[in-house]
Amino acid sequence: MSVQLIDRELDRLESLWDDGLSETYRSYMEAVGAHEPDAQPKLALAAALVEIGVRLQGLGGRAAAPPTLLMGDLCLARSSRLLAGAASQAVQVAFAQAIEDMSSAAASGAAAPAPRALLLNALKAR
Amino acid sequence: MIGKRLRFETKRETEFVDITDLLRQEVRLAGMRMGRLHLQSLHTTLGLAVNENEPLLLRDFAKMLERFAPVGAGYEHDDFARRVDVALDEPVNGHAHVRQLLLTGFATLLVEEGDLVLGRWQSIFAVELDGPRHRELALQLDGDFSPLPRASGGGSGRGWPAAVRSDLVELELTRQLLVDPEPVSTPMRRLVEAGGKRLRPKLVQLTAAIGPRQEPLRAAALAAAVELLHNATLIHDDYVDESTHRRGRPTVAAAEGPERAIAVGDYYFAKATRLIAEIGNRDVTSTISEALEAICASQIDDVALRGAFPGDHDSYLRVVRGKTAALFAAACASGAQLSDAGPEIVEALRRYGDLLGIAFQMADDMVDFSPSSGKPVGLDIRQRVLSLPLIYAAEDRTVGPEVRRLLAGTLGDAEVGRVTDLVNASDALQRVRVEAQALVDAAVHELETIELDGLRPTLIGLARSAVDRNA
Repeated sequence: MSVQLIDRELDRLESLWDDGLSETYRSYMEAVGAHEPDAQPKLALAAALVEIGVRLQGLGGRAAAPPTLLMGDLCLARSSRLLAGAASQAVQVAFAQAIEDMSSAAASGAAAPAPRALLLNALKAR
Repeated sequence: MIGKRLRFETKRETEFVDITDLLRQEVRLAGMRMGRLHLQSLHTTLGLAVNENEPLLLRDFAKMLERFAPVGAGYEHDDFARRVDVALDEPVNGHAHVRQLLLTGFATLLVEEGDLVLGRWQSIFAVELDGPRHRELALQLDGDFSPLPRASGGGSGRGWPAAVRSDLVELELTRQLLVDPEPVSTPMRRLVEAGGKRLRPKLVQLTAAIGPRQEPLRAAALAAAVELLHNATLIHDDYVDESTHRRGRPTVAAAEGPERAIAVGDYYFAKATRLIAEIGNRDVTSTISEALEAICASQIDDVALRGAFPGDHDSYLRVVRGKTAALFAAACASGAQLSDAGPEIVEALRRYGDLLGIAFQMADDMVDFSPSSGKPVGLDIRQRVLSLPLIYAAEDRTVGPEVRRLLAGTLGDAEVGRVTDLVNASDALQRVRVEAQALVDAAVHELETIELDGLRPTLIGLARSAVDRNA
């Protein structure tokens, strides 16, 4: 189930799987136990895609080159679509707020909050 | 009665956030003439106050709060060893709770003649006592509201039906930008205030008036979120395309650097998806998120295809369907979904939006070759952006070889001018015009079999005007 999901959802992003996405996904899988079993891999992948996506973009650091930025954009967009299908409204809102926090800190030059902590917190939203 | 939530971020530990303008916007947005605005803090460390917005006075207030309830004065609430169910991220904030006792957590404000009733020096504050944080106030507006004006009035704009309350969308955009941090809101405001056709919001509002559940304020909220999402994608596009200007103003990337552009784009991508999620319609959320994914995927294709510039017709259609048409289609479908229109109507409108979006992009491509458009001619050529007139010109038996040769080399002013002349000399623009009109006809055809509650002429007119333009 989980493997099929990953295969389906990695279209165009396959190269990221061996480049940190799989490890990040597994970390989040440990944090989604409170959600419905069907939703767990989708939520973990959504969180991993956001974490990897903002890293690819260079958010809060040096701007990525355009092709890499677009890969990061696709990570965020796919995460959004996964959440639309699998997450409660509260989790969707919390994920969006996590990205708002990271990007507003980046825009103001402030120290960026750690994505992992923000996203783990978002997964707990009720 | 209207119920809403007002969300904002505070920046300091203790802060008097003046929310008077935000509340005035809410009253105007709701069209309230006479009644009461009830306001309630949803936090135990956020108070409300009505007082004068004078900076030194606000410092006096902050000092008074500090005197009454100093930080770290041995509050039992801060003794985590004695408390049960303490969260891992529980703050040490006994002082903030005690300070909140000195304030109020709720307020009722009077509304008369469409505005808050306030004395000359009165402002309304949300008082942060334990910031910085995300904060939320509950609002209820109770009273008499203006009826929605018909076609000729109230900001709908000439020729638009009452459903298209562009003033509601503009107010909603203003309201959303007011509560955002300055480093992201300033560049976005510059882009939003520069104009744009607002076609996507109009499509949302029109289609949200088709089904049985017609709520203009929710439709305006969705329409504004779609516009923010569109602008967020433009900010990243401009960095990718190395564009220096958009709508006559410097792009975020050009004015403030790519790092800021990425952050602003991300912020409004996230904010728009949050606003859409908060509307609470799962079909709408799915429709928009699928469109967003299609946009991002086609951007990757678009950049990849620049190596084979100017590309071919099939590649062009594939990219444009994602890059432009996906959000047109989603705007149409999501508005209809918001109004609880039937699935056959939603799907017909989705197809209408898809065809209209492709036709719109073709018309946009033609503008690049029109000296009367007011835009610099040949920009797409310089930036090697996928463009159907260029594809057709490159295929042309007469001018094609020279077009292909020029596009394969360095594109200076002379080369761009020559390519433009060659495109104009060929039948490429005419072919694109005919193709775009055929797509509009197909889009209109999609509307023939569904019940549109009198909005068919407007949707047809909108489709025709999207192609029949030179700017």
